Amino acid sequence: MKSDQFSSTNSNRLYQMIIPIVLVGLALFPFSEPPVYFISFVFWIFLYVCLSSSWNLIGGYAGYLSFGHVAFFGIGAYATAMFGKIFSLSVSLTLLGTIPAGLIASLIAIIVGYPCLRLRGPYFAVITLCFAFVSQLTVKNLEILGGADGLWLKTMDVSVEINRTIFYELMLALTSVTVLVSFLVGRSKFGAGLRAIKEDEEVAQTMAVNAPRLKITAFALSAFFPGVAGGIYACYLSYIHPDVVFDVNMSILQVLMALFGGASSWIGPVVGAVSLTVVNEGLSTFVKAELARIIYGCLFIVVIVFMPNGILEFFSRRTKRIDN
Amino acid sequence: MSLSATLTGHDIDKSFGGLKALSKFSFEVKAGEILGLIGPNGSGKTTLFNLISGLFHPDSGKIEFEGANITHESPHLIASLGVARTFQIVRPLRDLDLIENVAIAVVYGRNGISQMQVARAKAFEILEFTGLSHRARRYPGELALEDLKRLEVARALASNPKVLLLDEVFAGLNPKEISTAIELVYKIKETYRVAIIMIEHVMKAIMTACSRVIALHHGVKLCDASPMDVANHPEVIRAYLGAGYAGN
Ligand SMILES: Nc1ncnc2c1ncn2[C@@H]1O[C@H](COP(=O)(O)OP(=O)(O)OP(=O)(O)O)[C@@H](O)[C@H]1O
Ligand SMILES: [Mg+2]
Repeated sequence: MKSDQFSSTNSNRLYQMIIPIVLVGLALFPFSEPPVYFISFVFWIFLYVCLSSSWNLIGGYAGYLSFGHVAFFGIGAYATAMFGKIFSLSVSLTLLGTIPAGLIASLIAIIVGYPCLRLRGPYFAVITLCFAFVSQLTVKNLEILGGADGLWLKTMDVSVEINRTIFYELMLALTSVTVLVSFLVGRSKFGAGLRAIKEDEEVAQTMAVNAPRLKITAFALSAFFPGVAGGIYACYLSYIHPDVVFDVNMSILQVLMALFGGASSWIGPVVGAVSLTVVNEGLSTFVKAELARIIYGCLFIVVIVFMPNGILEFFSRRTKRIDN
Repeated sequence: MSLSATLTGHDIDKSFGGLKALSKFSFEVKAGEILGLIGPNGSGKTTLFNLISGLFHPDSGKIEFEGANITHESPHLIASLGVARTFQIVRPLRDLDLIENVAIAVVYGRNGISQMQVARAKAFEILEFTGLSHRARRYPGELALEDLKRLEVARALASNPKVLLLDEVFAGLNPKEISTAIELVYKIKETYRVAIIMIEHVMKAIMTACSRVIALHHGVKLCDASPMDVANHPEVIRAYLGAGYAGN
């Protein structure tokens, strides 16, 4: 038996060459002096890649479709904002607060996940959606968090270009780490356990997979990155409002993106987030907003109906068939 | 109860609503022993496996594994101690190929490891042992029932068990396949020195493979004896064939 029978060394080597080139290229992009608009557009792509990749840890690998993941984004945004406000910190110091903000999001995920992860299928989806609504309402009604007025953060005393570039690079770094974690989890024992849970949780348990612990770990991990992202986003906008950072559309979008690309691998959510953000942006630039929504919705239905495992798997199966 | 028994049950009761699936059921099985479990449909055999593996918990009674009380433990803990099972109605992980199905049991099983690559190599060995290596990169959906039953066995073996619970792994197989499967069970016992409890309707399998047999009827133990004695036991014959045949 050949030792490399079970590894995909060739594709690994390809990744090892391509990925650094892509990352360096992306990091240098703002210095080619593109229009500011492009910098913030790519910032949005990074944000969605980060959100759908971290969602994928629990939703894709473990098959627990969380529809309330925006709550962790919002929690991270508010935690960071409060951190800056309480200690009246400068923007750069406030940005340090995004790490504890991510940890707070994880902690809340553990508290919420403990009861919720006992529910399966649609029940889990609905309860997480409720969780997002409850978080939004709670923040809206807490005077100390600015209530329905939202919260202002300090702004950086630099030009728009530099400001955008700084946040672009920050989001690129966070997104790279998120995707790397998602990639490593996918290949690990932990990821294999999550897949078994997705397929048949009872069977997984009889294979000695500690399902409750694995699920809560995945949920906490999948809440951390959106928490940090929310913090960065808060500093980026310098104003946050419950309707924006707890927007349920965002929750649904990150689910759709992961499913669109294919939720069983790390690359699926990346492809899904990039392509849907580009399509969405293209549509809303070139056609009317309402029409854009309709086309976007139809596109999604087509993918779900004809490519239930995402576009990547659909195309890779086709090429396989042609090879044969 | 002898001290060397690996797995024991004492006075286990289990009801579903008004239906008594098991009543005052006791058993024991030792390492290197193949215990047969027979009984008509609905007599509580699979229920016993569900109780041992922790998917259900008994209403009363006690289950012990190597002296430790596992009556109310969770399935993953019981499995990690070394109690593995197969499912009567096969339950493969459908979106994963055979190697992955088995490798997951290798990494998480008793004395599990963390390296997936190493686990895949080990999984391949187990697939070879169970006669599935030529299908290693296939998906369960592409397999016939015979092979799916083997996959159940392979997966259970992969978790490095001390006790193996086989739930009708011969059902639906033709006589030739049954002979191969019986050989496999023997090979497992010899190679891995496990204790095996085997639920079976196929009498040939029971008579040739088991050293001892327990017969169940409506959740009550009828007898616990050698295969020959059980097959000739009047109450067992009555349970299978109806009252008229007993004593003839
Ligand atoms: N989860 C359950 N809920 C309700 N009733 C159950 C459940 N599991 C088993 N039963 C009932 O308990 C009784 C014993 O079932 P069990 O599956 O243990 O039988 P069995 O001996 O394995 O039969 P077979 O030979 O058909 O597999 C049956 O009457 C069955 O309907
Ligand atoms: Mg049964």
